[in-house]
Amino acid sequence: MALVAAGTVVALFVAIVCGLVVGPTTVPTWRVVGNIFAHVGIGHNTLTPLQSTVVWTLRAPRMVIGLLAGSMLAVAGGTYQGVFRNPLADPYLLGVASGAGLGATFAIIDISHGNGTPTWTPLLAFVGAMGAVIVTWLIGGRSMRSNTSTLILAGVAVASLLTSAQTFLQQQSSAGSITRVYIWLLGSLASAGWGTVWLVLPYVVVCILICVGAGRALDVMSVGEDESRSLGVPVRRVRFIVIAASSLGTAAIVSAVGLIGFVGIIVPHIVRLLVGTSYRRILPISVIFGAAFLVFADTIARTVIAPSELPLGVVTALIGAPVFVIILSLRRPVAV
Amino acid sequence: MSSVELVELSVRAGEEVLVSNVSLAIEPGTWCTIIGPNGAGKTTLVETMAGLRRPSHGSVSILGQSIAEMNERERAHRVALVPQHPVVPAGMSVYDYVALGRVAHHGLFHPPSAGDRRVVESVLERLSLVDFRERDVATLSGGERQRMVLARALTQSTMVVVLDEPTTGLDLRHQMDLLELLKSEVHECGLTIVATLHDLTLAGQFADRLVLLDGGEVVLDGAAAVVIRSDELAQRYGMALRVVDVDGSDVVVPVRHTPHVNGA
Repeated sequence: MALVAAGTVVALFVAIVCGLVVGPTTVPTWRVVGNIFAHVGIGHNTLTPLQSTVVWTLRAPRMVIGLLAGSMLAVAGGTYQGVFRNPLADPYLLGVASGAGLGATFAIIDISHGNGTPTWTPLLAFVGAMGAVIVTWLIGGRSMRSNTSTLILAGVAVASLLTSAQTFLQQQSSAGSITRVYIWLLGSLASAGWGTVWLVLPYVVVCILICVGAGRALDVMSVGEDESRSLGVPVRRVRFIVIAASSLGTAAIVSAVGLIGFVGIIVPHIVRLLVGTSYRRILPISVIFGAAFLVFADTIARTVIAPSELPLGVVTALIGAPVFVIILSLRRPVAV
Repeated sequence: MSSVELVELSVRAGEEVLVSNVSLAIEPGTWCTIIGPNGAGKTTLVETMAGLRRPSHGSVSILGQSIAEMNERERAHRVALVPQHPVVPAGMSVYDYVALGRVAHHGLFHPPSAGDRRVVESVLERLSLVDFRERDVATLSGGERQRMVLARALTQSTMVVVLDEPTTGLDLRHQMDLLELLKSEVHECGLTIVATLHDLTLAGQFADRLVLLDGGEVVLDGAAAVVIRSDELAQRYGMALRVVDVDGSDVVVPVRHTPHVNGA
């Protein structure tokens, strides 16, 4: 466990450095490190103004939003897998993705004659995402005594309905709008600035703390609802709190950077293979591993075919799937 | 003060009455076994005692306090449950599984204290599970698994333990071993045991008191030796039963009705 934690922290550090120094504009690592120290009054700045702008205005906020998105999606996925006792659960299980997609589509096609993505897209995506989860909960949340499958099925139904509505809206809009919707759906950190970081930071920090804090409760809940209650766990209250936190954090991230797939389902599974089945270990390690993973993926996405970019979701799948397969072949798979 | 007291307890599932007007008072240190044919309401009754079902009428009190007034954590301090089909989460070690019984004591946001760990160690020792402590729970045999589930219940350090068919799936030797273990806990720790059992011989040999349930109602309630020899028992099971004395112990033998064949 200690070895895995140390390795994950090292990976995170390397990812942060890569996120800051790798790119079309060459910036030596030691100068970036020197610049960081200069910011706290140690030594002096050796970056040129251009390098400073590239590092601190373009790459740093993108790297930080990558850390936040990766950690939130990974911990939300792990939490969902624990609370639903379902290995296929991911952060989009209850309709967050389709709700956000519909909200964003609504915002984007609303300016069908423009060329950009409107500034209120994140707001409508957030409203759509949370609206979808609330409707799903209202439909399926009351009948969760015996199992959680009703809630999952309600999520499937709500997601199908909202995706249909989104498809209809796209059909009614211009080709340009469809392209912009499609780009948004693929997810990207390219438009993230410090404003985006400050906007999502409180949601993500609070939601991650709640999810990680629920690790012990999720461990107990692995024996099922009735047994957990007999062991003293207020199962329904815990379930409501962790689903609300996971959904809120995911909605905040999705509204800021679009739909980034794969991280939420694959990172907790990789971590589970490395540290075992206890959510007290899986969730905190997933926070660090998810952050490092997404920043690495984004560094690849923005550099491989520079000055163009690969869709981030494509890169996460291209890296994550082989890594998962390798770990799976090295270790005995364990249950959720 | 009774360990468990049921007053005019009824439990419904929709329109169906599962348990009807049951009143029982079980004294501390007593082993009370609920017997009855399939569908008699045994599991519903013990689940209601453990606070997992809400009565439609009447009340359940554990050690003098109404279970309806307790939250999950308070209930877990007073009554422990051994379910008929426990969920065994693969990948978890035996130690971690047994230690789940201490969650109500240290809470969801604190690690187990030294005292909690001592209790877990002591129960592992008593139930001969020390050698299995690092084993994955999914790799245990049926007998080892039932002992582990019992260990989790004992780790809760409650004065009342409710068991629903604890011998399900065990061979005869392991059934006896498990029930002997429980009996020793009753003697040494003064536990109150409420168990459901299908095996009438074992029920009669281990329980102090038998309660025969049928159609959700208490039909017979009394000392094990009396209930086991009652004619009512055979009627309720719908078959012929013979009770024979083997070295001072009652053994209930089902009698097969075979058609008489001439010359056979």
